[in-house]
Amino acid sequence: MEIKNYDQLSSLELDTLKEIGSIGTGNAANSLSSLIGKTVRIKQPEVRIMGYNEAINWIGGPEEITAGVLVRMSGQITGIMLSVQQLDFVNLVLESMLGHGVEDYLGLHEMESSALVEVGNIMISTFINALSSLADINIELTVPAFTVDMQGAIMTVPMAEYGGQSDYIMTIGGNFICGGKEIPCRLLLSPNIKSLNFLLGKLGVSGGE
Amino acid sequence: MLITYALGSCIGICLYDKQIKLGALVHIMLPINGEPGRKNTMKYANTGIRETLHQMMSQGASKSRITAKIAGGAKMFETGGGALGNIGQRNIDSVRMTLKAEGIPLLKEDVGGSTARTLLFDVGTGLGCVRSYGKPELII
Repeated sequence: MEIKNYDQLSSLELDTLKEIGSIGTGNAANSLSSLIGKTVRIKQPEVRIMGYNEAINWIGGPEEITAGVLVRMSGQITGIMLSVQQLDFVNLVLESMLGHGVEDYLGLHEMESSALVEVGNIMISTFINALSSLADINIELTVPAFTVDMQGAIMTVPMAEYGGQSDYIMTIGGNFICGGKEIPCRLLLSPNIKSLNFLLGKLGVSGGE
Repeated sequence: MLITYALGSCIGICLYDKQIKLGALVHIMLPINGEPGRKNTMKYANTGIRETLHQMMSQGASKSRITAKIAGGAKMFETGGGALGNIGQRNIDSVRMTLKAEGIPLLKEDVGGSTARTLLFDVGTGLGCVRSYGKPELII
């Protein structure tokens, strides 16, 4: 059955999306691990269907400052992929790659920001590559955009983009563990409804073109 | 004090009837409610503003006294457009147009740019306060 809203997903469909999250995040963890030269594990990925208030109050609250890398998807899937990077993740990356961390986000200059964009971009690309070969679909990605700002405003970017179709947003995402510690970086895949149906159809669960 | 947090491309609209000190804060996400029958009218600039004005008037406000102040409409990421183009700018245009059509004077605004804003609205004084990351607070 073709869904019209994210809250109509069946449990089989949700499980399929979780599996996508797992494969995508696993691949992204692999590339992160080679970038920073450390073992990276992943937590059980989750599929979340959030209303506006839930999305902006997500982890740490709306005014929590965080770094975000955003890539747009086009081709057979239209949507947005975000890498939300909180300070501990930022420092893990910077210490491994540049040899120094930062005290807060104000310490992010050109070099540091550039490193974060690249790491975010590589993780997102690996995730999408895995998805693309799994479902045998063609997805094109834009160059990454970067910002440091209130988390609530970053989270609402995909929401505003697809808000005309739904009062909810769906994110498929996972968290990483490095050195026994959970590192606050999430990869969030937000396809629009049409693409979600297409993807589920391609994977043989339901939906259809 | 009314607060709306982390406005990105969204816009917060403070509507105020000074004489009876009645205020409302609307938070809109999209410019135009094109689909009839959408339940959430407050999500859109055109229907959200009109619905709020209506509610204020039913509480005793006079439309001729209501004024507006707005904040938001930023572009959070510099990317090549996307399907909807610059939503922030389109929200700003739609809010200004709706206010004009309703004859509500727009007293002050802090819109556009690339930074998120938290908007606080003091209904006692009619003053708004905009909080952004890495910038001093701004009174509107």
